Amino acid sequence: MMDEMMMDKMMTKRRMSKKTLASIKAYLFLAPFLLLFITMVVYPIALGAKLSLYGQRGARMWYIGLQNFATIFQDPKFWESFRIPFFLLTVQVPLMLFSAMIIAFLYEKMEKHGGGLYRFIYYLPHTIPGIVTGIVWSYIFSDSMSPFRPVLDLLGFSGTKILTRPNLQFILLLITLWAFTGYTAFVIYSSLIAIPKAFSEQAQLDGATFWQIAFKIKMPFLRDVCITLFIFNAIGAIQVFNEPWMLGKLVVLPSNYTPAMYIYNSAFAQGRFTYAAAMGLILALLTFIFSLYILRNATKQMLTGESQLLP
Amino acid sequence: MRKPIVTTLIMLIFAAYFIFPFYWLTIGTTKNVSQLFQKSLLPGVPNNFLENVRAIFTYQNGLFFQWLANSFLYAGLGALVAIIIACMAGYAFRRYDFFGKKLLFMLILGFAMVPVFATTLPLFMLFRDLKLINTRLAVLLPSFVHVFSVYLMISYWNQVPEEIFNAAQIDGANDLLIFFRIGLPNLIPGCITLFLLVFVGIWNNFFLPLVVINSRARMPLVLGITTITDPQGFPVYNLTLTSSFFTILPLLILFILLQKHFKPQLYTGR
Repeated sequence: MMDEMMMDKMMTKRRMSKKTLASIKAYLFLAPFLLLFITMVVYPIALGAKLSLYGQRGARMWYIGLQNFATIFQDPKFWESFRIPFFLLTVQVPLMLFSAMIIAFLYEKMEKHGGGLYRFIYYLPHTIPGIVTGIVWSYIFSDSMSPFRPVLDLLGFSGTKILTRPNLQFILLLITLWAFTGYTAFVIYSSLIAIPKAFSEQAQLDGATFWQIAFKIKMPFLRDVCITLFIFNAIGAIQVFNEPWMLGKLVVLPSNYTPAMYIYNSAFAQGRFTYAAAMGLILALLTFIFSLYILRNATKQMLTGESQLLP
Repeated sequence: MRKPIVTTLIMLIFAAYFIFPFYWLTIGTTKNVSQLFQKSLLPGVPNNFLENVRAIFTYQNGLFFQWLANSFLYAGLGALVAIIIACMAGYAFRRYDFFGKKLLFMLILGFAMVPVFATTLPLFMLFRDLKLINTRLAVLLPSFVHVFSVYLMISYWNQVPEEIFNAAQIDGANDLLIFFRIGLPNLIPGCITLFLLVFVGIWNNFFLPLVVINSRARMPLVLGITTITDPQGFPVYNLTLTSSFFTILPLLILFILLQKHFKPQLYTGR
């Protein structure tokens, strides 16, 4: 009896020390990452959270509690800045997911007729920097250089300007669709080809057409990837900066055209760093809420040993 | 099999939309400003490509090459270090049952999607206190941490079969040896994919250098090309277009050469 208990204790002890040893080794391998992760990501967020509680004038700062947040919630410019993200979220993202899904089906249909080439071409816009996308498209739509200008003149719209504030959101729509549809279609296509062939073969034998199979049988399999894509795009929509920033060189834009621009301009044009930090924190929180679904799934996958988030 | 004509037509129309800006940019590099203002869809006559290239290469005593070198330094070194430390971190997750594993994993995931607008401002304050503003380190240090690639590395390591590790352990290999000799060779394809992903991410990153760099000599291409003006401070459209062309050229070459390694991974890249 005694012996057994002793053994038990020793075993536990040995297991403990084994875990301690493993932890030491693990943290040696983790050390470079942790050091940079803490200094470059965790600490800045904590610093941002601290700054958000301070008032500021020039170099002078003083503690004001949640005053900044109270001001932000009553700041109409902050709320107005969400107009563009909201437009992108409600118009661009659904439109893009739908067309990307159709394109993914078409990739499959065109597999033997150069599908790979189309995938390559459609994906290209995603490889180039957002700022170059912004430069090229803003020039294409600028009234002094636009190839559409002569067409409009010919049709009798010579007085109508292309690059105006009201048109800007539609231009932004075209730009973001251009930049991300091919990428999105590729991701959907990757899940599409992972669907077991047996399902569609059976339906084919029963006489279902290509599109019937696509929408009735394959689409349900794409639910998860579409939800994930929707969330990532929602996050992207909240953060949109580069393209409007570039367009802003050709059209006069308000400082709060998007939330990210408002944060940047508050900090660097107006020098309101702590106010900007508070807004950044709100944006981070929004992002976090949006990404909870993905985080939950990923944690589940890791704990059950499944290897990847996506194809 | 019958060639699907309607589908091909639809695909070609989409292709035109995706190709058009590339085409317009390319013909734009052959024009001077007054030719650009003619709004033609054909290359400039006379062709001014070489003049534009010369103007860009000699702009402010070769500032363009400085930007190019900076971009390669930031993206190349940044991606290399980011991948190495992510690989090591992934190995730790794969091989060891350590204290705080679950917590750390959740932290990594939770912070993987923090918007740059939330971290860059405080980073600016931090770097200002450390006198790092306007140094290359201010771009490099944050680029070394690519949280999302740690997550992907964990999944790559998880694909290496347990038996390989066990066999090596029985042969008496120590942990470092297992990491380098047994593990890494299995991970090379994943590492290349991730390297490209991170490289392109840093190359294209505009916001970080915009905030932490103000001397033009230390700017990367994406930031530098937006600052091209004539001595009066007006934009020079043909030069901006030509330099844009050379900004995306390395990316397109990389993409075409290493196409099979470009596996898009879902993450917020901007």
